[in-house]
Amino acid sequence: MDDKKGTSSQKVTVYIDDIAYQVNKENNLLAGVLSQKLNLPYFCWHPSMGSVGACRQCAVTQYQDENDTRGRLVMACMTPVSDGMRITLQDKSSAKFREQVIGAMMTNHPHDCPVCAEGGECHLQDMTVMTGHNSRDYQGTKRTFNNQYLGELVGHEMNRCITCYRCSRFYNDYAGGKDFGVYGSKNQVYFGRQKDGTLESEFSGNLVEVCPTGVFTNKLFSAHYTRKWDLQSAPSVCAHCSVGCNTSIGERYGSVRRVMNRYSYDLNGYFLCDRGRYGIGFVNGEQRIKKAKGISQASPEKLTRLDVSKSLAHFRGKRFMGIGSARASLEANFYLKQMVGEENFSAGYNGQQMAVAKAHQQLLNNYFTKDRMLSLREVEQCDFILLIGEDLTKTSPRFALALRQACRNSGIEKAASMGVASWQDSAVRTISGKRNSPFFALHPTATKLDELTEQHLLLEPDDIEKVMLALTNLLGSDVNEKNNEKYEKQLKNYNTEQQLFINKIISELVKAKKPLIVTGDSLLSAKILSATNKLMACLENNPDQKKVNLVVLASASNSIGLLSLIDEKSLSSEQVLAKLSDNTMDGVICLEQELATFTDKELTLLRDNSETIIVLDHSESRVSAIADIVLPAAAVSESNGHFVNYQGRIQRFSQVHAPILPILDSWKWLSYIEKSLEFSTTSQSILRKNKTKIIETLDQLHHHFTENFTSWPVIGNVLLDQNPVARMTPRASGRTSQAANFSVHETKVVQDKDQHYRFSMEGSKPNTVKDMPFTWAPGWNSNQSINHHQVEIQGQLSNYHEDLYLAFQFSNFNHKVEQTSDDTLAGDSPADKKFNYFPQGSLFQGEWQSALTAEFDLLKYSLEKNPTLYLSTEFSESQGWSQGQWLKVTADNMNCIAQLKCDARLPKNLVYGDIYDFINNKSGITVKLSEATEPEVIQQQESRINGYQLAKENQKNILERLKISDQHIPIRFVAGGLDDA
Amino acid sequence: MTEIIRPLTHLVNLKSPLSLSDYISEGGYQGASKAIHEFSPKQVLDLVSDSELKGRGGAGFPTGMKWSCVPMFPDNDETDDDVPEFKYLVANADEMEPGTFKDRYLLEGVPHQLVEAMIIGAYTIAANRGYIFLRGEYHLAAKRLQQAIDEAYQQNWLGNNIQGTKFSFDLYVHTSAGRYICGEETALINALEGRRANPRAKPPFPQMSGLFGKPTVVNNVETLCNLPHILKHGAGWFKALSPDSDAGTKIYAACGRVKSPGLWELPMGTTIREILYQHAGGMADGLKLRGLLPGGASTDFLLPEHLDTPMDFASISKVGSRLGTGGLIVLDDQNCPVAMVLNLLKFFAQESCGFCTPCRDGTPWAVEVLTRIENGKGRKEDLDTLHNLCDFMWLGKTHCALAPGAVEPLKSALRYFIDEFEQHIDNGCCSYQQQGITQQTHVVQPSHGGQFHG
Repeated sequence: MDDKKGTSSQKVTVYIDDIAYQVNKENNLLAGVLSQKLNLPYFCWHPSMGSVGACRQCAVTQYQDENDTRGRLVMACMTPVSDGMRITLQDKSSAKFREQVIGAMMTNHPHDCPVCAEGGECHLQDMTVMTGHNSRDYQGTKRTFNNQYLGELVGHEMNRCITCYRCSRFYNDYAGGKDFGVYGSKNQVYFGRQKDGTLESEFSGNLVEVCPTGVFTNKLFSAHYTRKWDLQSAPSVCAHCSVGCNTSIGERYGSVRRVMNRYSYDLNGYFLCDRGRYGIGFVNGEQRIKKAKGISQASPEKLTRLDVSKSLAHFRGKRFMGIGSARASLEANFYLKQMVGEENFSAGYNGQQMAVAKAHQQLLNNYFTKDRMLSLREVEQCDFILLIGEDLTKTSPRFALALRQACRNSGIEKAASMGVASWQDSAVRTISGKRNSPFFALHPTATKLDELTEQHLLLEPDDIEKVMLALTNLLGSDVNEKNNEKYEKQLKNYNTEQQLFINKIISELVKAKKPLIVTGDSLLSAKILSATNKLMACLENNPDQKKVNLVVLASASNSIGLLSLIDEKSLSSEQVLAKLSDNTMDGVICLEQELATFTDKELTLLRDNSETIIVLDHSESRVSAIADIVLPAAAVSESNGHFVNYQGRIQRFSQVHAPILPILDSWKWLSYIEKSLEFSTTSQSILRKNKTKIIETLDQLHHHFTENFTSWPVIGNVLLDQNPVARMTPRASGRTSQAANFSVHETKVVQDKDQHYRFSMEGSKPNTVKDMPFTWAPGWNSNQSINHHQVEIQGQLSNYHEDLYLAFQFSNFNHKVEQTSDDTLAGDSPADKKFNYFPQGSLFQGEWQSALTAEFDLLKYSLEKNPTLYLSTEFSESQGWSQGQWLKVTADNMNCIAQLKCDARLPKNLVYGDIYDFINNKSGITVKLSEATEPEVIQQQESRINGYQLAKENQKNILERLKISDQHIPIRFVAGGLDDA
Repeated sequence: MTEIIRPLTHLVNLKSPLSLSDYISEGGYQGASKAIHEFSPKQVLDLVSDSELKGRGGAGFPTGMKWSCVPMFPDNDETDDDVPEFKYLVANADEMEPGTFKDRYLLEGVPHQLVEAMIIGAYTIAANRGYIFLRGEYHLAAKRLQQAIDEAYQQNWLGNNIQGTKFSFDLYVHTSAGRYICGEETALINALEGRRANPRAKPPFPQMSGLFGKPTVVNNVETLCNLPHILKHGAGWFKALSPDSDAGTKIYAACGRVKSPGLWELPMGTTIREILYQHAGGMADGLKLRGLLPGGASTDFLLPEHLDTPMDFASISKVGSRLGTGGLIVLDDQNCPVAMVLNLLKFFAQESCGFCTPCRDGTPWAVEVLTRIENGKGRKEDLDTLHNLCDFMWLGKTHCALAPGAVEPLKSALRYFIDEFEQHIDNGCCSYQQQGITQQTHVVQPSHGGQFHG
């Protein structure tokens, strides 16, 4: 929508209660008033969704001129700002009307506050107090509704609804959802699904934040509930994809309770995806590693540094390789690499992934040494999109949401040309109709964004590459009479559909003012990335083409951080295994790596050929199961560190609470390992020489790196200039009594050595810094309080300072690409029913950490939907197969069952589906299809029902355990290392 | 030429409406012919503006002015992105205002008149597609309209190149699925699009962004039916039909306990007294006039002292009410005014679309209070509540005019029949012997579709 940094847009004078204010001309009056930090109540308006004028809450009196004393009532959200306009917030008639609106809403609103999850951060509560309504005139009964089961994530309590329409406007209009809507009329308007069932949108969790009352609540939060004012929070970054949405994580009594959106002007704005919001559940899961393995402890109660150094001393002199991880912090990865030495460092990528990494680096080198990749905010302004090889709605969902908004730009422009402001949401959507900005996509599977495309093709990665090369060649060729023949000839190799696709892109691309090409690594295809490189190079050479923006997305939260550490000496996983088997090296240190690409055979090889495997991780995996030493690493909510997002933006995640020992930040473990193992690399000797102090805090670590390594980006600490910010609200309760079952004495405040934030309610207010632990303002207890911390509504944060970016300077190197089995996909042989199967993206199982969340596991066995396989209609008919039929899908030694669905868009060889067993075969796998027998189908259904019940049990057990652990709050004195209590 | 002083209704035949050829031999389609053959769209627009025709749907907006806001593209270059592919003329045949049945009379009685009218209207605004948004319950009208349209297509009065001109116009009948709010033009447009029938905010006006975002004009059936006659006889003739300030004739109606309820086409500005006593025969035996709503349920009460007011827009407005649709709803002296207002408010509460807070929550609140008063459980404070609600749901405070309309009978009843309300409260009962209107005592039920919570 509008780009409102606040300073560059035109301002006009608006008189509010006779005081002149400078207000952004493009705003509606409500946004203008709120931008001045004045209090005007509202419900249905939302900064990202514009105005509809439904609730009538924001009424103000507008005067014609200074002499007009009567004025007339207008709805601020529907009124444009004009120079010299005069309004009042304080006159009796509009104040009375605003109070009456609340009174009307209260006629049906239940007296649920004490039992409602929203209480204490409820927008309705805040607005009620703001209007001064405090006594009930209505004498009648209240209308009630039935509630629906909407899935494991979002709760439903319709009695509380005030019919502001925000939920359906978000779910349907903004996020493109299809299975939710408005029903009924008069005072019985109902928001829900046509029938009970899990909400299908990847953004359903935002209903919780968008709803001003407690109709939609966070079920995970409600199950193990605490009031907002009792939560201890810290600003964090989502750990589940490379967009790097800003979050605010809240905990109480030592367990993580929930994730809220943390407003970011450039990235996530006001919304998160469900993976980011609910994926934090893994922190409380049964699979957490809470004790060290392989370290003999002097005292069973406590693991000390001495224990660690003694145990590790056994391995002194051994030659270790380090395997870093795209989900570990930048600090931990960098530290590991320096420790083991650059020739012994691996990213945990196999040869195929290394080729992808190299191609990615090439793109960054070529186009992003001076420029920066577009932020999500900037993506929403684009007017042409070419999406290659990414199912964004599942891999980087928040990015997909931004693309949805970008598609609206041609419609918004048309409305603007008719004099309709972009915030007049209904009118703009009416005028836009079905008009979308030109959007083209290439991917092996169907995706949710397909409906927005002008044209999209379902093709395998190799064929995608071919189409891209054709496009590049044709773009590069002279478009004049003589070469039309050549043009035609080149196109002849492609079918009509593909020809149309290429031609359309060429004609639309040249018209675009801000075109965007999006690609990523989710198909593990280096070919697609190099083809993108060639395409970009060609477009750069065309003087008539406006600058084409490129975005390359990665799969994990710190993929780019890890990428910056990969150089010509880095080892692929094949090379790691080779070095172990030929005895060049003795063991590996695995940093937060689950080695998903390793087959069982490779894992056995790893185990057999390694003398020692040291694993640092927060959750059990196949690797931790075979390790000699397992050190419990802290999860994102329990540690401090930095992730680098797809743009190269370095963002800090902060510790929410000090976890129970011996869980420690990975980099802290690495510093103990470094001390004990005494590596003999050159970097090591530098490290040892210059190190005098023990590294206890992140700042010290940064200082250490900066002093000794030029490749470390200088991450300054703005926060050190200020007083530490309180993590708790001033109203946090129970502080003096929470350990009363142990001791009558109040526990001391946990010392945070990092000095950015305090584990206390004492400290600076959250709004004194850019990275706020939680959001609050006087009179605004809900998430709407963010209005007070922005320069302008929907603008930049008040305390914003520029984020730091990684400099992209990769050396060009040739990495020996080891061929993997994935490259040998099936040829042209549907006759023996061999196909290339590509897994659809999965929101809940696609990322290893979040997939461990109990609720996500439950969704895996969801009985609402069967595993599905999509096959071309033509081939299905030729086999006499019909939709809904059960097929057997065989690959390697695996047999799976899936239900058939026909997709007419599919070429001969290509199939796709959501079969869980193949979820990691991102670059495709050859499968054979046959009909499934009835006993096989029954067995599969039974095993799913079993799996579901087990997952349900697991969920219940976790909840019980958490509630019990509330009684035994871990007491830490210092949030420090092993020897700090 | 015999002077026709009842142009709208003189060809009405409810038993068997005129076929196309019969309609033509009675002078039909001459107006449309004149428009498309002899006038330019601008000339027709000027003619209609001169005639001072005002909307008959209840708002009384000058038709010429409404049409003049439609963007016209003289070149009609189809490749120009600004020229819309479609422009629409919609006939609002969703007659649901209580006490109103004039459009039904015209639709069932002389459907070709509307078809001809729409041809003229579409020609003027260069619309190429038209819809008659017809109230679903009017089955007979639907059938007869479709028959008329089919005949018109056959005789090249609809479709491509009408009567050999360059003007093409397609006309469809769309039967509504119900709801009073569809009578609101923007809600009607939403309903036509297949969406929920919530009204739209204006601006932008339908002439700029209407049906499917394209330029659209919505006119009432009776308004449109005047067009063939205006084209045939001219603006001066139309104005001369009425000695009054407003031009043309109007179909007035009367219902309630009068001797002969019905409808009559009379010159604009006929007095209430003439309609009620001359045409409707006065009150039924034994009953006296207590009050009346002049233009349908959503207008303010008038009293016997207002009987000599001319039924035109300005005069009725001056005495504190609205002409609306011109259908009188008569209150006799043996009917409880409180019960009547309760009945009306129940209708409005049921018909509220639920979009904006004052109407959605205010109308049922008024019903709750009035129900208690009617049942004798009212309190003194309730009158204050009712006054507050009238204030709360007034013009400018709601998203559309339904709630202000709902509040008009209520606030005028509080003005004129306050003693009735007070008596109900003081005596703890309704003093009228109810027969037919509200018989049983009403137990306030939970709304349909919901359930009590365990």
